[in-house]
Amino acid sequence: MTKMVPLEEGYMVIPENPELPCRLIGSYSKSANKTYFPIRKLCPVTSEPVETVELSPVGELYSWSFIMMPKMGSREKVPGYGVGQIDLPEGVRIQAPIDGKMGDWKIGMKMRLVPNPVVTDEDGTQYCGFKFTPA
Amino acid sequence: MNRDVYVIGVGMHRFSKDPISKRDLYFTAGMDALNDAGVKFRDIGSLYNGYIGGGMTEGIGFAKDLGLTGVPVTHVENASATGSSAFREAVWAVSGGQTDVAMALGYDDMRLMGNPMTQPARGKKRLPSMENIMLPAGFFAMWAQRRMHENGTTVETFAKIAAKNWNHARHNPMAQRRADHEVTADEVMAAAMVAYPHTAMMACASGAGAACAIVATEAWAKKHANGRPMIKVLASQSQSEHYGDGHIFMGAVVGPAYSTELTGQLAYKEAGLGPKDIDFVHVHDAFPIEELMYYELLGFCGAGEGDRMVADGETTFGGKIPFSPDGGLIARGHPGGPTGLAQVWDATRQLRGEQGKFQVEGARTGLVHMMGAGSICIVHVLQRA
Repeated sequence: MTKMVPLEEGYMVIPENPELPCRLIGSYSKSANKTYFPIRKLCPVTSEPVETVELSPVGELYSWSFIMMPKMGSREKVPGYGVGQIDLPEGVRIQAPIDGKMGDWKIGMKMRLVPNPVVTDEDGTQYCGFKFTPA
Repeated sequence: MNRDVYVIGVGMHRFSKDPISKRDLYFTAGMDALNDAGVKFRDIGSLYNGYIGGGMTEGIGFAKDLGLTGVPVTHVENASATGSSAFREAVWAVSGGQTDVAMALGYDDMRLMGNPMTQPARGKKRLPSMENIMLPAGFFAMWAQRRMHENGTTVETFAKIAAKNWNHARHNPMAQRRADHEVTADEVMAAAMVAYPHTAMMACASGAGAACAIVATEAWAKKHANGRPMIKVLASQSQSEHYGDGHIFMGAVVGPAYSTELTGQLAYKEAGLGPKDIDFVHVHDAFPIEELMYYELLGFCGAGEGDRMVADGETTFGGKIPFSPDGGLIARGHPGGPTGLAQVWDATRQLRGEQGKFQVEGARTGLVHMMGAGSICIVHVLQRA
């Protein structure tokens, strides 16, 4: 079975059981009662300590676009891809690729976090970023 | 500011898609500014090089073409706000008493820049970073999409702003995009889509170029005015991000739109004036949604009224407040490092009344705004003394 791991530690949790949701890892500041993503070393508002928390896997689409340009640092032609900003219930806005095509997205619709395989190793391990898909 | 500061010389190498060496870009803009100011490179007491691309020692190496005078040289980088940051450093070097004459020189070739956020190899694999920055085209397109959702802004409004800036650049000899005809909103909308709702003609022109400004004390400005008006720096403000609801930390390109409002307010306060006193504005119009929002955030109309300003032609020549009179990032171009200094080049010449067919009639005070990824907002106010 294909093993999925995050591109980098500290950003997301991908459970081995594919039935369980993938979740982003953020920071909660008790002093400001605010949550941030990705992890902060200190609360950016109060400079007090923060605690690490897992964030909700489903949010609402705040905005979107469909991009026809190559990704940053690349000149390879692309068929186009969606990007979105998703508001999670914790008050965090996440920016990420989104599944679908023009016409599929509507501001306010529910979106679910899923792993986004970027590189596959020789042993089949998939290194993943994250994206959202219509829930 | 501790001491009054004046822009005594500006210079440029035309922004272009042509293959021009960065060394030549640098030398041309630097000499142009020195000649404009009527000073020699040995008069420069501090030099700030602004570039995003390029390797270690590149800028200080190019400066050797201007002379080996021992001048302190500093590399400044703040993404799109690099040139504006170099200018601000030069202004403060003079204001703070470090030197009487300082130079800010920005250059770049946007097409040679790679991905600044790529991580080093992990084991044998080179993996992209989680923090990989969002393409500016996608980021600002999402501003546009949200604006359309909340305010009913149309794609035609974005196209009208872009067409205006294309037409402003038609007579600017330093502009990258100089159309041979009056550009229409329909033409802009018909161009290839890059990031919905923005088309290629709405996206800033990326290429190569250089721009330079020399600032000095009042005594030097008087000595080198040469019968021209003296151009005073009334305000120099810079703000990195403040936290706000829905704050995006990862891949945001630039911070919340209200960074512009905050920095603008600080600049107005420092200058002792307000939007009604400004005769023209330069902004980071990488995409027309930005210019539209900055009409409101810089106080030239109320929230949600920017669309009406576009419909009424209030932001072009003869209108209430011309924006991007030289074509802005959309048409004059946006190579990176020199962009903010190209704004200062135009602002200075507008205030001197030297811009001919793209002159803002009677311009006395100009506001110059720039955003840099990361992010930073910089606002300067210049005035004919």
